[in-house]
Amino acid sequence: MATVTKPVEDVELLRRPNIPSADVRLPAVKDYEQVDDEITATLHPTVQWFIGLGVAITFLIIGALAWTYQIYTGLGVAGYNPPVMWGVYIVTFVFWIGIGHAGTLISAILYLFRAGFRTTIYRCAEAMTVFAVMTAGLFPILHLGRPWKFFWLIPYPNWRYIWPQMKSPLIWDVFAVLTYLTISATFLYIGLVPDLAILRDREKNPIRKRIFAQLALGWRNTDREWRHFVRAYLFLAAFSTPLVLSVHSVVSFDFAMSDVPGWHTTVFPPYFVAGAIYSGIGMVLTIMIPLRKWFNIKHYVTINDLDAAAKLALFTSLVVGVSYANEWFVAWYSGSPAEKQFFANRLWGQWWWASSLLYTCNICLPLSLFSQWCRRNTTWLFILSIFINIGMWFERFVIVVPSLSHEYEPWQWAGYRPTWVDYAILCGSFGWFSMWFLLFVKQFPVIALTEIKEIVKPRLKRRHATGVDVTAHPLPFMPDTPGEFD
Amino acid sequence: MRGVIGLFRELDATCDAIAALKKRKIGEFTVYSPTPRHEIEHAIDKGPSAVRMFTLIGGLSGVTFGYWIAIWISDYWPLVVGGKAIASWIPYTVFGFEVMVLFGGLATVAGLFAMARFPRITHTVGYDNRFSYGDFGVWIEPSPDKMLEAEQLLRDAGAVEVRVER
Repeated sequence: MATVTKPVEDVELLRRPNIPSADVRLPAVKDYEQVDDEITATLHPTVQWFIGLGVAITFLIIGALAWTYQIYTGLGVAGYNPPVMWGVYIVTFVFWIGIGHAGTLISAILYLFRAGFRTTIYRCAEAMTVFAVMTAGLFPILHLGRPWKFFWLIPYPNWRYIWPQMKSPLIWDVFAVLTYLTISATFLYIGLVPDLAILRDREKNPIRKRIFAQLALGWRNTDREWRHFVRAYLFLAAFSTPLVLSVHSVVSFDFAMSDVPGWHTTVFPPYFVAGAIYSGIGMVLTIMIPLRKWFNIKHYVTINDLDAAAKLALFTSLVVGVSYANEWFVAWYSGSPAEKQFFANRLWGQWWWASSLLYTCNICLPLSLFSQWCRRNTTWLFILSIFINIGMWFERFVIVVPSLSHEYEPWQWAGYRPTWVDYAILCGSFGWFSMWFLLFVKQFPVIALTEIKEIVKPRLKRRHATGVDVTAHPLPFMPDTPGEFD
Repeated sequence: MRGVIGLFRELDATCDAIAALKKRKIGEFTVYSPTPRHEIEHAIDKGPSAVRMFTLIGGLSGVTFGYWIAIWISDYWPLVVGGKAIASWIPYTVFGFEVMVLFGGLATVAGLFAMARFPRITHTVGYDNRFSYGDFGVWIEPSPDKMLEAEQLLRDAGAVEVRVER
C-alpha cells in the first residue's frame, strides 16, 4: 500500500519571524523616525560631558609630562632593574590590546552568527576597539629609549640597508597590530557611512553639515549602494573574525616563543585570546551601563542585551579559569624544577597578592553571573565589570613580572616596584583613551541608526502573513529550531 | 537627466512600485530606503554583488605579497642562525595571513566604492533627505513619452508625493 505523504502545511514555518529581527526586541521603538530623533539627540554636549572630557585631558597631560620627563632623564626612571626589564608598559600594552578585542568580536563574530544583541552595542564596542588599539600602540614606543626611532621596526627601503628580523615575534606584532588597527578603523568607518548620511541630512549647522557631507562620501541610500554595502560589510566581518584570533595569538607569541618559565607554553595563544575577549566584554559593560543611563537609551540597550553580554563574560571567564588550571597542571606535570618553583613563587611566594587579586577578580566574582538576578542587575554588573578590568590588568602583570623576576638562575631572582612615572603614564593612557571616546560619542551616533531600523518594523500598507515578506517571498533566513525565537 | 521621483511611506507600496516598473519596463529606476531590506532586494532581484571578486583578488594578492616580502628580506639581508633556514615559511605564515587580511579588507572597500559608485562629489537629482530618515523612494528615468505613465504608476502604487526633477 502506497504511503501518502501529507503535504507540509507548515504553520510553524509561517509563524517564525525573520532572524535579524527575531532575537532582539525593542518594543518601545515604534518607527524609523523615532530612532533618528532619539539617537541623534544624544549628540548634544552636556555639562557632565565637558567635565568628563576635562578629567580625561588632565590625565592625559599627567601622562604626557611623565613621558617627557622619562625621555629627558632616561628609561631608568620607569622602575626597570635587571632582570625585570618589562614592566607596567608591556603589561598595559597587552591590557589595551585585549580591551580592543571585544569591539571586533562583538561586531564581526556576532554579526556572522546573527546574534541580535550585537546590534545595540557594537558601535560603542568598535569605537572602543579603535581607541584601545591606538592606546596600546603607544606603549611599545613609550618603552623605547629613543622613541623617535620606532619606525625601524617597519620594513621599508632605507639608507642603512638593514632590514628587520622577520622571524621575531616582535616584528609579527608590528604587522598584526597595524593590520588590526587599519581593519578595525575601516570596519568602524564603513559601518558609519550610512549614519553619517543621516547626520548630513539632518544637520542645521552649515559647517558641521559640510563636514558630515564629506565624511558620508555622498551616500544616498540607493538599492545599488545597499546591495554592495551589505556584501562588503559581510566580507569585512569575515576577515575581521580570524584577525581577532590572530592578533592576540601573535601578542602571546611575544612571550611564548621565549624560554622563560611561565611563558614558554603552548596554551598561551588561546589563553590570551579568551582573556582578551573577556577583558573587552568587561570594558564594554563598564562603558555601556553608564552610557545607556546618561544618554537615556535604556530602551535600545536593553537589559536583555546586557544579560547576553554578561553570559559571554561568564563563558570567557570559565575559559580563562580553565587556562589558569592548565598552566598549573603543566607546570606540575612537566617535571621542570624551574617551572615548579616559578609557579610556587607566583602562587605562594612574593607575588601571592597579585595572583590572589587576579583569581578573585577573574574567576571567583564572575561566578555570580550564573545567577540571572546578577546578570540583570546593572549596578552589580557595572561593579563586576570594574573588577574584571582590574583582574585582567593584574593577569598581564602576573604573566609579565613574576616570570622575569624568577628565571633559572638565583641571580635572576629579583623584585619589581613601579615608579611614579609608570603610574602617571598608566593614568595618561586612560586619559588618552577616554578623551577619544568622549569626543567620539558626541560627534557620532553611539548606536547604529540604520541597523536599529532593520529591527524596527517598517510601515506597511496592507496586512501580510507573518513569515512571508511583503513581496510574498518566503523569508530567506529561518531559525534551526521551530519556535526558537518565539 | 530628467526623471520622476516618488516618495513612499510604506515598504510594501515601494515593492509594488518596483514590481510594476519591472513589468511595464518604463525605464531605469533607483530605489531608496533608509535601511537595507530583503523585501526590496528580492523585488529588484539583481543577483549577487561583485564585491566578492575584489575581496578574493585582494586576499590572494595580500597572501602572496606577505610571504614574498618576508622571504625577500631574509634573502636580501640574511640573519644566519646555525642550522636554521634563512627563509622559513612557517613563521612567515604570520605575515602571509596578516597581509592577506589587510589587502583583502582594503580591496573589499575599493570594491564597494567601485560597484556602489561612491564617493560622490555632489548630490545628483532624484534624492530627498527624507530617504535617510524614514521614507522610501523610487526614482525613474523614463523616455519623454513615458513620463506621465511613470508618474501615474508611482501614484497607483501608493506614492504620497510624486514630482518631476531634472
